[in-house]
Amino acid sequence: MLSIENLSVVIRRRGREVAALSNVNLRVDAGEVVGLVGESGGGKSMVARSVVGLLPGGADATGAVHFDGADVLRMDDEALRTHRGHGAALCFQNPRGALIATRTVGRQLTDRLTTHQAMDPKRAREAARELFEQVGIRNPARRLDAYPHELSGGMAQRVMISLATGCAPGLLIADEPTTGLDVTLTREILRQFRLAADADRRGVLLISHDLASIAAVCDRVVVLYAGTVVESGPADQVLREPSHPYTRALLASVPDIDGRPVVATAGAMPLMRAAPDDCPFAPRCAHATDTCGQRRPPTMPVPHGSGDWTLACFHPQSGPMTAAASTLRATAKTAAADPTLQATAKTAAADPTLHATAKTAAADPTSTTAEAAPAGPTVPGTGPVGPAGALTKDRAAGAATPAAGTPVLAIDDAHVVYRSRFGRGGHHALRGVSLTVAAGETLGVVGESGCGKSTLAKLMLGLVDPASGSVEVAGQRYAGLRGRKLRQLRTRAQMVFQDPIGSLSPRRTVGDSIAEPLRALGVPAAERAQRVGAVLDRMELDRSILQRQPHELSGGQAQRIGIARALVGRPELIVFDEPTSALDVTVQAQILKVIADVAADSSRGSVFISHDLATVRGFSDRVVVLYLGRVVEEGPVDEVFDNPKHPYTRALLASAPSLGTGFGGPRVELTRDLEEADAATGCPLAARCPFVTDRCRSDDQELQPYGASRAACWRVPEIPALLKGSDIRV
Amino acid sequence: MVDLRAAGGPGESADTAAPVKGRGVRGGRFANVLIVVGATILTVVTLAAIFAPLLANWGPEEIDPAANLAAPGGSHLLGTDSNGMDIWSRLLYAGRLDLGIAVAAVALAVVVGTIVGLVAGYLGGWVDDVLMRLVDIFQAFPTFILALAVAALLGNGTVNLIITIALVNAPAYARLVRAEARSVRELPFIDASVTSGSSTFGVLWRHVLPNSLTPVRVIAPLNCGWAMLTLAGLSFLGLGVSIPTAEWGAMISLGNPDVVAGRWWTSVPPGLFLLICVLGFSLLGEGLQERADAKRR
Amino acid sequence: MRILRFVGRRLLQLIPVLLGVVVLTFLLVRVLPGDPIRTILGPNATEEDAAAARERFGLDQPMWKQFLDYLGGLVTGDFGTSIQSGGSVTAEVAVRIGPTLELVVFSVSLALVVAVVLGIWSARRADRVGDHSIRIFALIGNSMPEFWLGLVLILVGYSVLGWFPAPSGRVDPDTNLTPITGADLVDAVLTANWPAFGSAAAHLALPVATLAIVIVAPLLRSVRASALEVLHSEAYVAAGAHGLRPRTLLRGYLTRATMVRVPSLAALVFGTAIGSTVLVEYVYSWQGFGQWALRGLLYRDYPVVQASVVIIALAYVLVFLIADVVHAILDPRVKI
Repeated sequence: MLSIENLSVVIRRRGREVAALSNVNLRVDAGEVVGLVGESGGGKSMVARSVVGLLPGGADATGAVHFDGADVLRMDDEALRTHRGHGAALCFQNPRGALIATRTVGRQLTDRLTTHQAMDPKRAREAARELFEQVGIRNPARRLDAYPHELSGGMAQRVMISLATGCAPGLLIADEPTTGLDVTLTREILRQFRLAADADRRGVLLISHDLASIAAVCDRVVVLYAGTVVESGPADQVLREPSHPYTRALLASVPDIDGRPVVATAGAMPLMRAAPDDCPFAPRCAHATDTCGQRRPPTMPVPHGSGDWTLACFHPQSGPMTAAASTLRATAKTAAADPTLQATAKTAAADPTLHATAKTAAADPTSTTAEAAPAGPTVPGTGPVGPAGALTKDRAAGAATPAAGTPVLAIDDAHVVYRSRFGRGGHHALRGVSLTVAAGETLGVVGESGCGKSTLAKLMLGLVDPASGSVEVAGQRYAGLRGRKLRQLRTRAQMVFQDPIGSLSPRRTVGDSIAEPLRALGVPAAERAQRVGAVLDRMELDRSILQRQPHELSGGQAQRIGIARALVGRPELIVFDEPTSALDVTVQAQILKVIADVAADSSRGSVFISHDLATVRGFSDRVVVLYLGRVVEEGPVDEVFDNPKHPYTRALLASAPSLGTGFGGPRVELTRDLEEADAATGCPLAARCPFVTDRCRSDDQELQPYGASRAACWRVPEIPALLKGSDIRV
Repeated sequence: MVDLRAAGGPGESADTAAPVKGRGVRGGRFANVLIVVGATILTVVTLAAIFAPLLANWGPEEIDPAANLAAPGGSHLLGTDSNGMDIWSRLLYAGRLDLGIAVAAVALAVVVGTIVGLVAGYLGGWVDDVLMRLVDIFQAFPTFILALAVAALLGNGTVNLIITIALVNAPAYARLVRAEARSVRELPFIDASVTSGSSTFGVLWRHVLPNSLTPVRVIAPLNCGWAMLTLAGLSFLGLGVSIPTAEWGAMISLGNPDVVAGRWWTSVPPGLFLLICVLGFSLLGEGLQERADAKRR
Repeated sequence: MRILRFVGRRLLQLIPVLLGVVVLTFLLVRVLPGDPIRTILGPNATEEDAAAARERFGLDQPMWKQFLDYLGGLVTGDFGTSIQSGGSVTAEVAVRIGPTLELVVFSVSLALVVAVVLGIWSARRADRVGDHSIRIFALIGNSMPEFWLGLVLILVGYSVLGWFPAPSGRVDPDTNLTPITGADLVDAVLTANWPAFGSAAAHLALPVATLAIVIVAPLLRSVRASALEVLHSEAYVAAGAHGLRPRTLLRGYLTRATMVRVPSLAALVFGTAIGSTVLVEYVYSWQGFGQWALRGLLYRDYPVVQASVVIIALAYVLVFLIADVVHAILDPRVKI
């Protein structure tokens, strides 16, 4: 149905040229789900835009996009209008932004139905209601009259899918359809696309960076790197035993809930200025030879493969993925593949910062799990540096190094309420959370969006005040402190933010940002420079980066800077708030490695907050599961992941995507989408739990010890029996 | 089998090799044209005003007793007004006053407005309430009306005019910077700075201020043009610069009675100068705006 | 019902602002230099004459007493007595407001229609010649001194071509128009006085054109910018990518989403229009509210200044209120 042949897209803007796609070949047949995967900047969205004839201004495309025999690139306006929607319909990445705010979603759907299916308005409304029901919108007749701002994120994504299918397209294209959705929803949304292929015989092109999620629904997978197709073939082969070194590196970078080690690949995807005449991955590749740097590998069938499994590599790999198989090597010509700074991969002027990373990666290809990470401050830069005078000064500022095991954070029954400015009520974000973190310990915090993770992070840092309860950092409470004392206590707890570039002041240099905690502590300039240098070394960054502005940094560099800033004041506690969720997969692996190293310091406690269970498993000692502002389960990491007590934890684990074995035990599926109002009385999960009884609805649940962990559910002892007895899908 | 097409080899058919242009809008070039033209106009006018003594053959308030309402030509390039003063020479000298007052007033408005907006936006609470209610009262009037009232009450004089025009413009800047500061306040780098132990003043000065000024940079040039129009309007009504002094609005006012009689040269040229000069600011502002928009997209 | 409650709440919020305006103008006119008595009596008046005049206008009373009297009058709709003319300020306002409203309403309506149509047209042709020309036109209009434009139009329309009447008066006195509302065109229709209608229309043409040109420019720019924002929005691109018909896109998506912004823009422009009206009335000797307020200001006629300032502020904030209500009706996202 769709056949992209030799498609190249070059974008010219303000005197810069970017080769977004180079000689891409791709096919999608009716009834087939094809996954288009790769990291951002790889050209995934450009493929989607080409298919619907939405090339941006300044773009020059060569090649052909054949759709049912016609070339989309060369269609006239009239033909293109029919093709868009009826031929290929795009589901946009940000569904709420892709719905026009001033028209009801029902009208927007009937617009499509009347345009492409020639329905009269009355028939269209009826069909719209059916479509809404199909994509799992409860109360469809009422939702037709809703405006987009009245929908939740998951609901908006369902509406977006119904809009696309309402065009009755031959091909459905989904651009990152599950970004920003929780795991439980992700599975449901992806199921819709599988359904469209199976039930309606549509072709589906599923664009995603999240390999683990789409693995289950795709028939075939196409892997893009720097605008080129590096590998394509049947999903189970490509995702289980990939042949291209990049695909292997990509898969090895994904943390998995089974706790297998993550392997980091140095460098980042280059930004191509022209179609490459060598292998764009060669500078990062452990198997690269001289040939890879001289010629572009042609696309050919995988030697040991079958069917239409092809790759573009001179050195195809075989065999199942293991950590050892992707051992990293830093070649002498380690390319500075930083997309923001480097012109092409060809001009491999080695960026010293990344070079350093590559070397260490080569020296230490071990996993990033907590067990494997070295204990104690073995890396220079954490130990006391500088003259004795500086040390005394530090102590005066309240920076005595705690011994391992002493608590550095204690939260006791904290409630946080965000009051609306006018009127009563407000949003009850945390409802009685108690936890402690000791020096040398890493606490993982997991939960879906809206469960209070970010509020908890802000609470730990004193950025929000608890309505009741207390927060103690390094033995001191934020409450009651003012002015200089408060500012000094604040430097004892530091945060690493979700948005690495956004957490750096846009008009300040990197050096300014890192040194800010020291300036606030009154550290003299000479010592400041020395300490900043020490943390830079630890982050394996070159000093030249100090003069840069945040917008010149790549995400990975910016997050290293963020960690450096958190470290420089030698705090007792570092809170990592979703530190890798904004990063690409291979960069995420690099940063996770750095974080594991930092979290292993015995002088400090760490809190790692994430919606992604797999990354939390990687290096936490203990885990806390949050649900609607309450802790529902708490315990040692392996116990919680292998033997979850609370039904919610079990449901989370069961729906977590996995490329490996995944969650082994019996599964629990929750019955509805999360709703804020559930938190009011009784067990907050009552509305969604398959094991709910009247007692759950009426009684508040307290954490109770069950074996090595604690859970807030009175039915825990009965659950193994319930799991066996019920016919819950596995 | 090697797929030659992937390597861009001879498998490529001729018709698919021809590049197809994207149909999306590109934009951005016109912005540069606007900025260049605007800046050129302003440079020329500024230079003309500075070097007025070299370009003018009469003094700005020099009376030629032999020529009253003389038509253009001869020693009076653009004729004379009803006082016998040379229009061309006065036009050049007037640029000094018009540009000077407008730019000074906007600069003052930006400084005052920014401080108020920054403090209100970042601190919030009652400080914000009090400051913004004050701004509300100022903004309960159309700006020109407010300028009229303040100018009438303060009386004329260069400093008073600067204060008047600054005063009526400052509230808009306060609002603008406040809105910006409020959104900047929610950004993660502010939290990062607070947890780094920075003082409130440090956060304001080092992080909130530099990141709240973007809209001000775009609005200020447009505002300079508007300030010139306000000044000229006030003078035209007799509330700004008084008549013998060379100022475009006052010159138009002086030429007002001649229009009905068909004598165009006393009022049309000063208006044209004013229009071109304001247009320079408008072009510059529009260009900057478009560039900022393009960057945001 | 919700709209009514919203309007009620907004009206309550206006009270402090208006009270602030009243207090501020009352204080400012008295604190700042200038003496109304001296201006009406002339330079030859003695101290005794001035004192007598002060007593007549109540200006010898303590400030707080004057203020209370003034406030008491305001509540009953009495703005006091003009120092300059000796007449009732309320009566003078009634006569003056009609002609000005006529001017403003015609120009703003005209400008709104032109700006919306051209703005959307221009945005759809973004970065092409048509768009560039409209933008340049709008920028010139934006930079135009309205009083000078008025003079140029008089020069061309009256002095050179002779197509329009002289810039004095609002209707030919020979048509014997009976004033009802003060807006001559409306009065002519009400009394079916067709010669007066023609004359009033001819007198209105140039001032309305002057005002409309300077109003349309900023409005046009804003409408174009909003339309462009809609066109660039992901939502509009998505609708286009689903192959909707151009007509559906234009009406249901682009125009509808752009119109949401128009009420607030129109309110802002209304403010500009009030300011420009003062100048345009001056140029065309239009005996309206602006001329009257200006004279009051020049002569420090306290009651006239106070009345005109309060009326303008009231009109302005009411227009904003109306704009907010219309916006709330048009935009489903606004919570009311």
